[in-house]
Amino acid sequence: MATSAQINLTSDITDDALSVNNTANLYLAGGTTDLNTLTSVTKVLESTDHVDLITTGSVATTHSYVYINNPSEDASEFFHIHIGNAVGSGTYDDGTLPTEEIGRLYGGDFMFFPWDVDDDITIKPSVATKMTVEYIVFS
Amino acid sequence: MATQAQLILTSDVSGDPTNVDTGLITLTKAGGTNELDQTTGLGRVHLRSTANKVLFAANAEGNDLAAKVYIINKSEDAALYVTVTINAQTIGKLYGGDFMFIPWSQTDTAASIEVAATNWTSSTGDIPVEYALFHEDTDYLTNA
Repeated sequence: MATSAQINLTSDITDDALSVNNTANLYLAGGTTDLNTLTSVTKVLESTDHVDLITTGSVATTHSYVYINNPSEDASEFFHIHIGNAVGSGTYDDGTLPTEEIGRLYGGDFMFFPWDVDDDITIKPSVATKMTVEYIVFS
Repeated sequence: MATQAQLILTSDVSGDPTNVDTGLITLTKAGGTNELDQTTGLGRVHLRSTANKVLFAANAEGNDLAAKVYIINKSEDAALYVTVTINAQTIGKLYGGDFMFIPWSQTDTAASIEVAATNWTSSTGDIPVEYALFHEDTDYLTNA
């Protein structure tokens, strides 16, 4: 069983164009043993509440890789992606949010990162009009 | 000017192989289709400390703006890892050869992205890390 991730990045923002191409074989922590568990989920979110997306209890290891995709074709719709505890419909913007926002995933964007499974991955849609999120956890 | 990213995931962990190909997506400014127009370019550092080091310093003016971060651990030792944190919140560990590609909110000046060669010792050798930031920042020049 093998899992790999390849990224291709190109940019001509600067005069000297940037081109990056790397492939990583994904292993269990600290070795070369292949990952052996995969969870693939598609969810439709119908409110702007800040809710759990991937809980620590759903993963049995302390090292995993997460892919999250916003398949929306509307570039103005986005998800706040956090690590920490969700607050539901509570005090999201009062400065006491018990999470750290990683970033905003706009329509068409994806993210891929290692996750140490210490805290939940949480999500807050920008609109309540049935936004779809896709994710895969490799562990 | 265009910056594009593509991710290809393949796995045969499950009975039916998983194949994800995002295709080349163009990285755009927040909420629209205008292309990102600023970058750090590709940088490289050699980590030789278990302490957190700032890789990208957050600029609170970047909140509500788009930024994408690429980081790769170029070590060939699968056991050597780099811990990535945002505002002291651990995101995950990049083992030798691993990379990450994430949007970055810069919610405030505490939201810097830091890296640490957590299991480095004087006998393990440096951990080379390469990185790039693609972003927008309308106030950058006026702050110079």
